[in-house]
Amino acid sequence: MSLRALSSGNVRAVLERGFTVIKNQNWMILVSGFFEPVFYLVAMGVGMGGLVGQVEGPGGQPTTYAAYIAPALLATSAMNGAIYDSTWNVFFKLRFAKLYQAMLQTSLGPLDVALGEILMALFRGFIYALGFLGVLAVMGLVTSWWALAMVPVAVLVAFGFAALGMGITSYMTSFQQMDLINFALLPMFLFSATLYPISVYPDPIQWVVMAMPLWHAVELMRQLSVGYLTGMTLVHVGYFLVMTAAGLWLTTVRLRRLFLR
Amino acid sequence: MTDRTREGVDAHALASSGSAPSHTVMAARARALGVWYYAETVLRGMRAYFWPIMLYAAGQPVLYMVAMGIGLGTLVDSGAGSVGGVDYLTFVAPALLVSTVVMSVSGEMTYPVMSGFKWQRLYYGPAASALEPGQIALGHLVAVVIRFVVQSLIFWAVMLVFGATTAPWWQSWLVVPVGVLTATAFGAPLQAYASTLTDEGFQFSFIQRFVVMPMFLFAGTFFPLSAMPTYLHWIGWVSPVWHGTELARLASYGAPLSPTMLAVHLGFLVLCTVAGLLLAVRSYTRRLHS
Repeated sequence: MSLRALSSGNVRAVLERGFTVIKNQNWMILVSGFFEPVFYLVAMGVGMGGLVGQVEGPGGQPTTYAAYIAPALLATSAMNGAIYDSTWNVFFKLRFAKLYQAMLQTSLGPLDVALGEILMALFRGFIYALGFLGVLAVMGLVTSWWALAMVPVAVLVAFGFAALGMGITSYMTSFQQMDLINFALLPMFLFSATLYPISVYPDPIQWVVMAMPLWHAVELMRQLSVGYLTGMTLVHVGYFLVMTAAGLWLTTVRLRRLFLR
Repeated sequence: MTDRTREGVDAHALASSGSAPSHTVMAARARALGVWYYAETVLRGMRAYFWPIMLYAAGQPVLYMVAMGIGLGTLVDSGAGSVGGVDYLTFVAPALLVSTVVMSVSGEMTYPVMSGFKWQRLYYGPAASALEPGQIALGHLVAVVIRFVVQSLIFWAVMLVFGATTAPWWQSWLVVPVGVLTATAFGAPLQAYASTLTDEGFQFSFIQRFVVMPMFLFAGTFFPLSAMPTYLHWIGWVSPVWHGTELARLASYGAPLSPTMLAVHLGFLVLCTVAGLLLAVRSYTRRLHS
């Protein structure tokens, strides 16, 4: 199947619609999502920090607990923002609003729709990352210029989750199935070395954790936050590049199968 | 379609047989037992989500105990040593029970309440019968409470398995009623508020983000209030979660609690529940009988 059959190159139309919706309806919800990681950072960083004391950061240097969890919360918020936009939002548009059906009646192709929706999720991830980095800077938790790279990396992380999330959502037909997403996200958040090092687990569990995308995002952010880069940095980035490509492929194929029969 | 219900009772035959109670008798029964009738309806509705609810009820405590109690506990125990004189798992477990039940009640008393008035209009049928709006409000809450009794019992069992309580079982089981009472102390006022809304906007998302989430994080669940700066302590004082957590800690590992504070915590939770119920009954009555 040629690219021309999948896309008319008019992603802009999908984006324009997305921004209009934000402007008219849900900008307050979008903005309020920014506070969630900040609350986590303040509560865990300040409250728990007093109980935990210093922890071992990337490269073995001791860091405060707040500085340790901050990059992990940024990664989590990039994931959550992208997942919300690309799952519940997409599910509603797909099954109830029949929005994509309408879009595909026009000259738009499935790749346009997929890319447009995913770019909207990235926009959200970008805004949250920018705001969160600002909060970190104000709290004095930024110690390296590499931390600036956390913003584009947050967008990459969001890209991976959004692309895959939308592909998976295309298989869902009921709200109960959508609940499976929450069942997958909670353990991933709790176990991906977000709030404590992965070393507390026995080896086999560590391997499971290392297979999950959020762990790679957390490690990547943590390395960038202090500017400690190793060969693993490339592995983490590579993981998300592959995840993004696979997700885009899946989403496009699924939308084509659902609508262009 | 015939008039046969799922249980195979032919309503027509029963009515013309003369052995069915008269309308007056049935209406009197509904008036007397309306709360339970409505609770039954809601519980039957929950059957559709039985397995997800059970998976959630059993999976969530296990996940939180492993991640927070054991994972985070490793850090705390090697850092501060102990919290409030016990290891971290013991400290955090009863608080997690209270918090997770409150998080669940915030799901049950927002969109489903709005749905009862607006989308599915489930409340209007019963309101046209002998049932009073107040009984409908109370019945909905009772059904939810029954769910939380089960959920709290499962959580308590998980605590026992993880060895997260140090008190004997005939004391630590009290975390179950404490969890349920905390759920009503937050759920009843929330139900009252949700029943006043006619249009869904960002209200429920805001409650989730600016009330439920901060309560989970700042009301003494993961660390004692005293670990925070003093100007943040008020978040605990006004949160049902903190009052419930303090009681649950007393039950679970005998955390020190003066009789005065015991009365304050219990009083706060009961007061919230009763006030919430009165407001909910008033609001349901206003909306269903207008």
